[in-house]
Amino acid sequence: MADTTNNSGLLQVRLVTPDRVLLDATATAVELPSMSGYLEALYGAAPLLAELGAGEVRLHGGTAGEQIFFVAWGFVEVLPERVTILAETALHPEEIDPAEAETELKHSQELWNEAGDDQVKYDEANAVARVAEEKLASAQGKSH
Amino acid sequence: MANVLDLRRRIRSVKNTRQITKAMKMVSAAKLRRAQERAMQARPYAQMLTNVLESLVRRTDLFNEATGDILHPLLVEREEKNVLVLVVAGDKGFAGGFNSNIGKAAQKFIDERRAQGQNLDLEPIGKKAIGFYKKRFPAAVYEHTEELYDNELSKHIENIRHREVPIEVAAEHPTLLVKTDFEEVTKLAHSIVDRYEHCEIDSVYIVFNEFKSVISQRVVVEKLLPIRKLGSHEVTALEEMTEEQKEAAGKAAQSAGVSINEPEETEIDQEAKKFGTAEVDYIFDQAPERLFRHLMPRYVTTQIFHALLESTAAEHAARMTATDAATKNAGDLIDKLSLTMNRVRQAAITKEIIEIVSGAAAL
Repeated sequence: MADTTNNSGLLQVRLVTPDRVLLDATATAVELPSMSGYLEALYGAAPLLAELGAGEVRLHGGTAGEQIFFVAWGFVEVLPERVTILAETALHPEEIDPAEAETELKHSQELWNEAGDDQVKYDEANAVARVAEEKLASAQGKSH
Repeated sequence: MANVLDLRRRIRSVKNTRQITKAMKMVSAAKLRRAQERAMQARPYAQMLTNVLESLVRRTDLFNEATGDILHPLLVEREEKNVLVLVVAGDKGFAGGFNSNIGKAAQKFIDERRAQGQNLDLEPIGKKAIGFYKKRFPAAVYEHTEELYDNELSKHIENIRHREVPIEVAAEHPTLLVKTDFEEVTKLAHSIVDRYEHCEIDSVYIVFNEFKSVISQRVVVEKLLPIRKLGSHEVTALEEMTEEQKEAAGKAAQSAGVSINEPEETEIDQEAKKFGTAEVDYIFDQAPERLFRHLMPRYVTTQIFHALLESTAAEHAARMTATDAATKNAGDLIDKLSLTMNRVRQAAITKEIIEIVSGAAAL
């Protein structure tokens, strides 16, 4: 059980996907791919709610050790001693299939062409492209 | 009267059947356990997503102050003219009344809505439902147009729906229940949200078998859209289990070693409830309105996802109960046949003795 009043300087980190709780561990720092750019949460951070874009969640220290997860869309709640990540997709970088990501990228370009003057479709195409690009970068270990 | 040999053959055949139904029951029980576990593991995510939404609702106005418009299209209530119904049944038969109960509940709903003059779109999920509705109602017709412009660099695609009869099958999803993959469910939810936002449909309902535990199940018609209250299930009709069904299900579960109680809340479930609800002033990295807009379609996705997981568990539970009953019936039949066989054999022996005795007496 996570002691919510612990003074160990460690963050309790949970990564929750639609299917299951993927990770429940402690870490000293967590990097998060927020929609507005990467942010890093440390112990004692101010409470924050942020939407996650596509990118890598990186954990440092604690029982988690150095771990990287690729996430595509999600939410994160940062509390002083706890970080809970809600991710729609979460994969280990080695689980990513680069060929599939390439196909997705191509598909996004098609969507982009088909979007025309429809702003919503345009945004969607951009979102798909972004996920695919980040996936590729993550698979090749080149993310940010 | 049948002879001993025939009876013996018959008994052997029934015994084989019993063996098969018994094995099927154990397989269903194992699958049920797995399905239950999956539904459990999916709970924290759904709970957390609902929490974030709720906390956003408290912080933002759902109405635009200047215009009075509702902030999100999925909250807009319109007069229900075109209704979409998702019917979740099983992929296979041999599950007692599982598929037919869902079919009945759906039919009742369809009849009611037709009586009010509403048009219905059906989207069957699972092979049994598809087979049922495909035979009865025509598929929806879409006109697909493509237009090239900007020196043929861009394409404009439009799908126009032509409704011909009041009840049509809008789409079918035969593979959705095989793995119940979240991504696939996302696509379905996406298409539903899209249609709702474009006013192609005015409300969305899902008919499925809700599953709390083996003895606590019901067939419900739940309203998915428009969303009236977050985090609560708006049930418009339901069909509870009868006491007899409960007893049969309970017995089957016991003999297969499946718990009949609702799974207990785990620590992570309790943690999930606290998500996003801490008594602190959160810093919002993005504007709450924007978060809200992105969250709403996902909320619909998790609702459908959850319904599918529960339905899968219910299907396995129904199959377990049905095969348990079949095993019991086979056992009864074997007993009855054995008794008849013994009688026939004894009769033959008695007859022979009488023949010998009377033959001896005649000498």
